[in-house]
Amino acid sequence: MMRLKLTHARYILSVLWIFSLFFMPIPSFATQESEAPGLELARQTVKAQKKPTTADHSQFKALNQDFTSGPEISKACISCHTKAADQLKKTLHWTWLDANSPKDNQKGKAGYSLNNFCISANGMHDHHCNECHIGWNAQGKKTEIDCLRCHGQKKINWEEVFEDYKYFTESKDPEENALAKDAQAEIRLAAQSIGRPTRKNCGSCHFSGGGGDGVKHGDLDPSLINPNRELDVHMGFDGQEFNCVRCHTTVAHKVAGRIYGTPASKTRKSLLEHDLESKIMCESCHSNKPHKSSSKMNDHTDKVACQSCHVPEIAKVLPVQVWWDWSQSGKKKDGKPYDVKGPFGKPVYQSTRGETKWKKNVIPKYLWFNGSIQGATAKDIIDPSKLVKLAWPDGNRNDKNARIFPFNVHLGKQPYDTVNKTMATPLLSGEHGYWTTFDWQDAIERGAKYLDLPFSGKIDFVETAYVFPSTHMVAPKEEVLACNQCHTRPESRLANLTGFYMPGRDRVKPIDIAGWAIVLCSFGGIVLHALGRIFTNGRNKEK
Amino acid sequence: MLKKMFLALLAIVFVFTTIGIGFAEAKGNARKGKYTYRNVYKSCNKRGEIDSPRPLLSPDAKTQAQWKRTFDKKDFDQFKCKEEWSKLSDKDLNDIFTYLKDHAADSPSPAKCK
Repeated sequence: MMRLKLTHARYILSVLWIFSLFFMPIPSFATQESEAPGLELARQTVKAQKKPTTADHSQFKALNQDFTSGPEISKACISCHTKAADQLKKTLHWTWLDANSPKDNQKGKAGYSLNNFCISANGMHDHHCNECHIGWNAQGKKTEIDCLRCHGQKKINWEEVFEDYKYFTESKDPEENALAKDAQAEIRLAAQSIGRPTRKNCGSCHFSGGGGDGVKHGDLDPSLINPNRELDVHMGFDGQEFNCVRCHTTVAHKVAGRIYGTPASKTRKSLLEHDLESKIMCESCHSNKPHKSSSKMNDHTDKVACQSCHVPEIAKVLPVQVWWDWSQSGKKKDGKPYDVKGPFGKPVYQSTRGETKWKKNVIPKYLWFNGSIQGATAKDIIDPSKLVKLAWPDGNRNDKNARIFPFNVHLGKQPYDTVNKTMATPLLSGEHGYWTTFDWQDAIERGAKYLDLPFSGKIDFVETAYVFPSTHMVAPKEEVLACNQCHTRPESRLANLTGFYMPGRDRVKPIDIAGWAIVLCSFGGIVLHALGRIFTNGRNKEK
Repeated sequence: MLKKMFLALLAIVFVFTTIGIGFAEAKGNARKGKYTYRNVYKSCNKRGEIDSPRPLLSPDAKTQAQWKRTFDKKDFDQFKCKEEWSKLSDKDLNDIFTYLKDHAADSPSPAKCK
């Protein structure tokens, strides 16, 4: 009887001990690791978000004069910010040239770079492309820097308001003459409304480049002017409400970010390692072990970029263009150019531009990426039998800096010189551009002249590709990729990446056979053991 | 003689008709209209009737035909700021109409009031 009680007590104690193993550690873990350390670090870095301004620009004498042109406003800005123009003129935003690429085949819009959209800026001779340059009135580098493009907090049509002012001041009608005061008041108010660049400022070019909203990136479009947290956890008005410059940190007007072949950051250091590091990488704020220490996800960060899981989808609100076929352009109806609109209210055919396709809720393509983007320029010899990559990520699985990264891949068709085997650089806008003349030969010849490139006069069309790293539209944690969206077969998101073993996605026959053999052996052992107990009538018989 | 008189009469009718049509459809000054339109809302805002000095309706809020109907009927209730609208002369109204019509939704250059 006594022995039985002891056994019961031991049994109860064992059960309690086992229970304690399961449940006791939970409160202690909860206190030590209620959140991922990377998230806490990131919160530290963005504590003081609203920087107070120390200047009211409406009080400055330089900005309280009559302005008759944009460059006059810039001169007023530079009269106080004396180093700003020199600083800016060294940056890509002004030069449109990659200083790190070879001089005889220099990359950049002002150089020999090409894209899948308006093809080439023809060395900044295409007026239409220059609309996104930071010089006044699409004049490129021939004029002053338009400081207000990035710092102006009031958007007005500068060209129109200066025209109005000129007209009213020169008018002989006293009523019209009086209105000059109103036009000038509008100019001054806009010139004095100055601040740090907002998403609207950056977005005026970066959200609508390529000739319209959402043409280019997929993860950058006007939906980010006033996004909610669901669209982007960092920029959302109900989230952190970041402006672009919160991560694209700026030193002497040089904005952090990728510049063609030059990675956005080569160090991948967090601000804990170096407090003056830019915030351009996820690791800058979140560190390279952003998840709870018990999380398997931390083991992924050396080979998988944060964006691969945290940007599961792009073009979430507005559609993104995925195809632009210039070979279809030039068709006319009743002798006139025409447009056809498609399902998203976006043009699917334009005589001037050709055929385009648009998509929403796009799943990115995953590629190895070491931070550099490379691509064929107007000087490079191409192989027209293959897809011509005008922008494609550098890196492979053997590159220690490369990680799996999500991309928006835009495809299209563009003209090329069949004799020289080089991509063509047609002039598109203006009186002699293709959009007016619909004459490829003439437009390409003119464009080539601007870049001092040969043109044989013989053209055909070739398929081209252009990638954009998907790094914005960061989803809330509830919507990030689940393990089984990659570690699965046959529809793994990483199905296109080969040459390495990935659990759940890949099979190695000997390992599969060995695994199943272990399972079967274990099962056999259990069955045999059970049968042995049954047929020998267990311990009862012994007792 | 009768033929000459008839021709002279015809010429007079033609000249007067042309002038009449010209006056009837005289195009206002769109540039002036834009500032007059904005000033309506600036003073209305100052008076406190509306919260913003921005015009309530942008030119691209209507098509050219819709603007024409609105101004033909002088139906300005939708614009609010009755006090300011009532002070506008016919010339001012024609200028505003020209501005709105020139930048209507179906015009070659639709515009928003910024």
